[in-house]
Amino acid sequence: MIEFTIYGRGGQGGVTLAKLIATAYFLRGKYVQAFGVYAAERSGAPLQAYVRVDDEEITNHNQVRAPDHIIVLDRTLIAPKVLAGLKPGGWLVLNTPEPPEAFAETFAGRSVATIDATGVAVANGLGTRAVPIVNTTMLGAVARALGLTLEDVDAALAAVKFGGANRISAHQAFEKAITATLPGVPQQVSAAPPSGPAAGLLDESTGGMPRIQTGSWATQQPDRRQLTPPCNHGCPAGNNVRGFVEALGRDDADASLAILLRTSPLPGVCGRVCPAPCMDACNRRLFDEAVNIRELERYAADHGSEPEPTRPWRREHLAVVGSGPAGLSAAYHLARLGYPVTLFEKDSELGGVMRTGIPEYRLPRDVLGREINYILRHGVEARTGQTIRRAELLRLTHEFAAVFIGTGLQNAQTLNIGGADAGIQVEQGIDFLDRVRSGKVRLSGERIVVIGGGNTAIDAARTARRLGAREVRIVYRRARAQMPAIAEEIDEALEEHVRLDELVSPVRLQRDGCGPVLTCQRMKLGEPDASGRPRPVPDTSEDAQFDVPCDRVILALGQSSDTSILPEGSEIYEGKSLLGLSGCPIFAGGDLATNEGTVTAAIGSGRAGAWHTHRTLTGEDLFPPPDEPVAGPEVIHTQVFSRAPRRRGELLPALERVHTFAEVRQGLSDDPTEHPAAAEAQRCFSCGVCNFCDRCLHHCPEGILLREGDGYRFDYGFCKGCGICASVCPRGVIYMSEL
Amino acid sequence: MNVALRTDAETYCDALLRPGNTNCAGCGMSLGLRWLDEALGGEKPFMVIPACCGIVTAGAFPTSAYGAPTAASTFASAPAVASGISAVADLNDEDSVTVCWTGDGGTYDIGIATLSAAAERNENILYICYDNEIYGNTGGQRSSATPEGVRTSTTPRGKSERKKDMMAIMIAHRIPYAATLSIAHRDDFLRKVRVARKTRGFRFLLLLSPCPTGWKAEAEQSVDLIDAAVRCGLFPLYEVFDGVRYRINVRPDGTPVDQYVAGQRRYTGIHTDGSALHARIDEQWRLLNVLAEAFPADGRSA
Amino acid sequence: MPRALVTGNHAAGHALAVAGEANRCARGCAGGAYPITPQTEIIEFLRDYSFTRGRIVPVESEHSAMGVCIGASLAGARAFTASSSNGLAYMTENVFAAGYYRLPIVMIAVNRTLGPPWNIWVDQGDSLALRDAPWLQFYTESHQDLVDTILLAFRVAEDPRVLLPALVAMDGFVTSHTQMVVDLPELSQVDRYLPACRVPHQLRRDHAVTFGGLTWPRETERHRRDIQQAMEQVPQVLAEAIDEFEKVFGRRPHGAISAEHTADAETVLVACNTMARTLRGVVGARRRKGERIGMIKSKLFRPFPRAAILAATAAAKRVGVLDRNHSPGSGGIFWQEIAATLHARPDVLVQDYLVGLGGGDVTPQIIDEIIDDLARRTAAADPVWKEVAA
Repeated sequence: MIEFTIYGRGGQGGVTLAKLIATAYFLRGKYVQAFGVYAAERSGAPLQAYVRVDDEEITNHNQVRAPDHIIVLDRTLIAPKVLAGLKPGGWLVLNTPEPPEAFAETFAGRSVATIDATGVAVANGLGTRAVPIVNTTMLGAVARALGLTLEDVDAALAAVKFGGANRISAHQAFEKAITATLPGVPQQVSAAPPSGPAAGLLDESTGGMPRIQTGSWATQQPDRRQLTPPCNHGCPAGNNVRGFVEALGRDDADASLAILLRTSPLPGVCGRVCPAPCMDACNRRLFDEAVNIRELERYAADHGSEPEPTRPWRREHLAVVGSGPAGLSAAYHLARLGYPVTLFEKDSELGGVMRTGIPEYRLPRDVLGREINYILRHGVEARTGQTIRRAELLRLTHEFAAVFIGTGLQNAQTLNIGGADAGIQVEQGIDFLDRVRSGKVRLSGERIVVIGGGNTAIDAARTARRLGAREVRIVYRRARAQMPAIAEEIDEALEEHVRLDELVSPVRLQRDGCGPVLTCQRMKLGEPDASGRPRPVPDTSEDAQFDVPCDRVILALGQSSDTSILPEGSEIYEGKSLLGLSGCPIFAGGDLATNEGTVTAAIGSGRAGAWHTHRTLTGEDLFPPPDEPVAGPEVIHTQVFSRAPRRRGELLPALERVHTFAEVRQGLSDDPTEHPAAAEAQRCFSCGVCNFCDRCLHHCPEGILLREGDGYRFDYGFCKGCGICASVCPRGVIYMSEL
Repeated sequence: MNVALRTDAETYCDALLRPGNTNCAGCGMSLGLRWLDEALGGEKPFMVIPACCGIVTAGAFPTSAYGAPTAASTFASAPAVASGISAVADLNDEDSVTVCWTGDGGTYDIGIATLSAAAERNENILYICYDNEIYGNTGGQRSSATPEGVRTSTTPRGKSERKKDMMAIMIAHRIPYAATLSIAHRDDFLRKVRVARKTRGFRFLLLLSPCPTGWKAEAEQSVDLIDAAVRCGLFPLYEVFDGVRYRINVRPDGTPVDQYVAGQRRYTGIHTDGSALHARIDEQWRLLNVLAEAFPADGRSA
Repeated sequence: MPRALVTGNHAAGHALAVAGEANRCARGCAGGAYPITPQTEIIEFLRDYSFTRGRIVPVESEHSAMGVCIGASLAGARAFTASSSNGLAYMTENVFAAGYYRLPIVMIAVNRTLGPPWNIWVDQGDSLALRDAPWLQFYTESHQDLVDTILLAFRVAEDPRVLLPALVAMDGFVTSHTQMVVDLPELSQVDRYLPACRVPHQLRRDHAVTFGGLTWPRETERHRRDIQQAMEQVPQVLAEAIDEFEKVFGRRPHGAISAEHTADAETVLVACNTMARTLRGVVGARRRKGERIGMIKSKLFRPFPRAAILAATAAAKRVGVLDRNHSPGSGGIFWQEIAATLHARPDVLVQDYLVGLGGGDVTPQIIDEIIDDLARRTAAADPVWKEVAA
């Protein structure tokens, strides 16, 4: 007689495998018997099934206690105890992706066949992922080990009316199974003896905890991870966006501001002028609308109280050249690290482009002043009116322990369209905006054409409107969708009756009979260029050129850096020491180094420069380890959330604002009954970062997810691996892995 | 958060459903029991459980996966046994809660006479049916709760009859409280159990309880499936007071019924044709809306 | 003790009610009530009784009547009900459940023929069909025997050595609907006689346990052995209960069996319920004529009092069993038990008589004929069907 014991789990098809093996032998003319052990356990519980094969009629109906062969349907059941009673020379057929040699110790001296039956079954769609049905697959491996043929397998499957994926799986297993006889002396294992005396119904001690460690049923296990929220990933300043938003959701503006100030000294500025790539990355965008992160940052900055500034305590004096966002950020972060910092600014006031290039109606001076003042309160010494050129820089390198340069973009792009001979004024937007600060510029009755599509173009156009221009028109050679300017700013400009001529390229300025005109060429979009945007190409149709009356042209075509300050022969690597220096280490950052063109990027670059400086001086590395993968929309369980429109701050009415430089956006109100900021912050999905919403805890059917300290703990001893915690996690923090 | 946090494995034994129970992974009943426990705030109910998966849950004597005194009744007897228990509790002025925890077989089929009688007598019982629409304990045969078109081991080509409207039957008894429960709507679930606990007399709660094994669905989808069932309108969440005051708790939100059906291999092709199911859902909601309009719980319709 | 002329049903209802009321200082009493002829009057009596701490639940079926008893007993109350015939058959599943739960429920069975064909008259086949349930079974011959046995049944069933339910049977109509004078126990007496009902495994909120859940073969075997051991305690516990009864009520009730004239009797007849009373008259008359004849009234059927039967038949050469019941393919059920008890006595001729089935009127003349038949026999034969007058 040949006897088999099959170790499997409820639902895997162990009894059916017993029947299939018996059928194969029955069709060979043998007497057979196949049966399972039936108990109360459910899908996933370990169970046994048995097969007997003989040349004579089988009269033994007991469970098989000394099997000739053992089959294990689940890799988590592979353990020495399955050897109980196994006769010498018998096969162990195991469902595992590992080769027989992986069990050299456990099953020394045994004949072992292995097959990744789960992989084969799942690939062929048998059962569910949690409980794959591996019986027919295992039949193939058993046949291979025991010398049955594929014809035997097919006959058995046909007799039980299995075909299709089952037959394919069995055949694949027959081919893929690996067999080996392992070296060594076989271990003898005896079955566990029965436990103590049987309990009676009236015993006092009844009702104890179940003794089944149902964790052993699991084929997969949950675990927690932290992913990078897409907003954090998308923030050039490196802000913990999700973190500050969450604090605001708790209506804690102070905590929120404190989180922002860890990475950026200018949240009030960014909350007004940042193009908010975080919002473009926001997963909520695909659900309803992105969280209004920019307004929330502004809210935190305007309503939170800053922590008390630290004071310098280190000996190394450091210099920062340029007080734009990069320089201010570098000075701030160095000061927070304890360094005495001296900040050099060529202008009479600090702030750089934030002061000279961003109009007041977008960024009120008191907001900028407040944040600069906070930076200075860290012990930063400001020296204004100090133009630093190459020579001065070399001197600084001898006076300071390190120098950070963040002088930004000083050279504006020009365009040769003539005009000077025609007496038409052509001015750089950046100069125009700076000039306006004097308060003496008037454009009453003028017709203004602004050339460009970035924020400077919009700023210049809207400023011109406020200065009394009769007509303001933006000429842009691509379409609106490609404009780098902030979308809302474009909307607001249009509301203010700034005219936008898309797909129009200026050709020349001249005077005709009626007065000064700008001749323009209509464009159309062609193939993408190096920047990935469609390349504008001239429209060749007949009336593709036209004239626009024009008293003044403002150029807003972008700027480039002026590297003449740098030591000769130096090359810029952001955040790295410049080559060719003498004296102390020099670092460059902001637009000078990166040409990113946003305040936010400059802040991030300035902070990186500060950390590089610190690392060079002390060896201490403050850079965080590489980010975890970004939590994309696929990990967000949007069903959990309700649609809620984005909350916006009030705007000054367009008619009113064209007459004033008062701030256009009023920000989210701090209405104590509505809490619009908290409500807006609560729209955040907290992608990839646990915010202790407890949904996993609430939905664990077993109650084995435990709160522990500040986090959660899974009790794997009882976790059946259903995966509900992972499926209900709104933010992709919990994931399942195969055991 | 209002959850009573269990911070230590030692406290497992206080849970109504203890870890180590023998329910399948992803069983809807497990979550139902946990939330029942939470809604009762740790109060130990007397549990009466007839023949059904729910009694096998307890595991093997002398251990118990139920952390509350539990009596296994014969299949049709849960409301009768519970009548005896609650009667004696009342005689002794004990403010305890006697819970019948039963499957759809014990509720819709073999036990319906006993259930109807206990409801008619307005016994002081909290009766909860975890309806997995199948005889799960015996391996997945049809019950009168099995929906039309569903394949079971005794309807191998799909059931041709419709699901019994048990809520309507119970409401017709004019019992003080009847409500439906979803494991995807936790606040609603907890609130209803608390309302039921505070109500005296016969209370009937119907929980649509996914059975990954019988529904041929992924265990991890259990909560999402029920969410879809509620959102598409197949399983309305509502409550009825004294049989005549209706309140609809969640209305369909246009989720396609396919989101529910496609995740389960028990539905046959013939009946998963969306239009057939949509017609059933429309009919169900027309009826429910008429009732809720005519007999509102709050003086006006939900 | 008031003596009253009442029906058997009234007497049984009174005994149950007073026993229930006597538990008012403990957890009270409860039961389920469902009518069936000829038992109906009992549950009407119970529904009419004003319990201090008791509730009779008017259920929708016998199955639920026993279900309520199970719940009430699990909750620690004294629990009881009554039924007959097909009602008992319908109740059967819960009858077994109550016994396997070790709940000291008392049930009155008013014996009635199981149908179909429909027949409302007496036949013990209904309660004897429950003989393999873990219940004590008592068969009573008169109103007084009935009342006394009901009180004994509570006392024995609730005894911590026993903790098993008890069924007390009486004949349909012949007892249930016949007016007889009976000493009805007073509450004060029952208060003294019955200790507070205590179900040691009563459901308690501080004891999480699942009663009746899945049990493996080892524990199940232990459970069955425990029940057998409890059954084996019954004769002793019953004897003590009878002694105590006599002290309280001043009257000694019938014991497990009543053996009359058996000391020297070569012929012994066995019967239960009212047939035993008819038999007593016939045996007495023959005895007076000098026949060495005796009789056994068998009251306790479960556990079957084998030792008492062996003792009472020590002198017997012929034993005739009168069975008002029929186990198809075998014969009378009392006969099976008596024959099994006397298997070690090959010298004794044990003959079964199936008599009075379906409520047939068993007259003294018929019993005389049976005794004559028994005297003529030299060897036991198959059970004899004894026709009665129309």
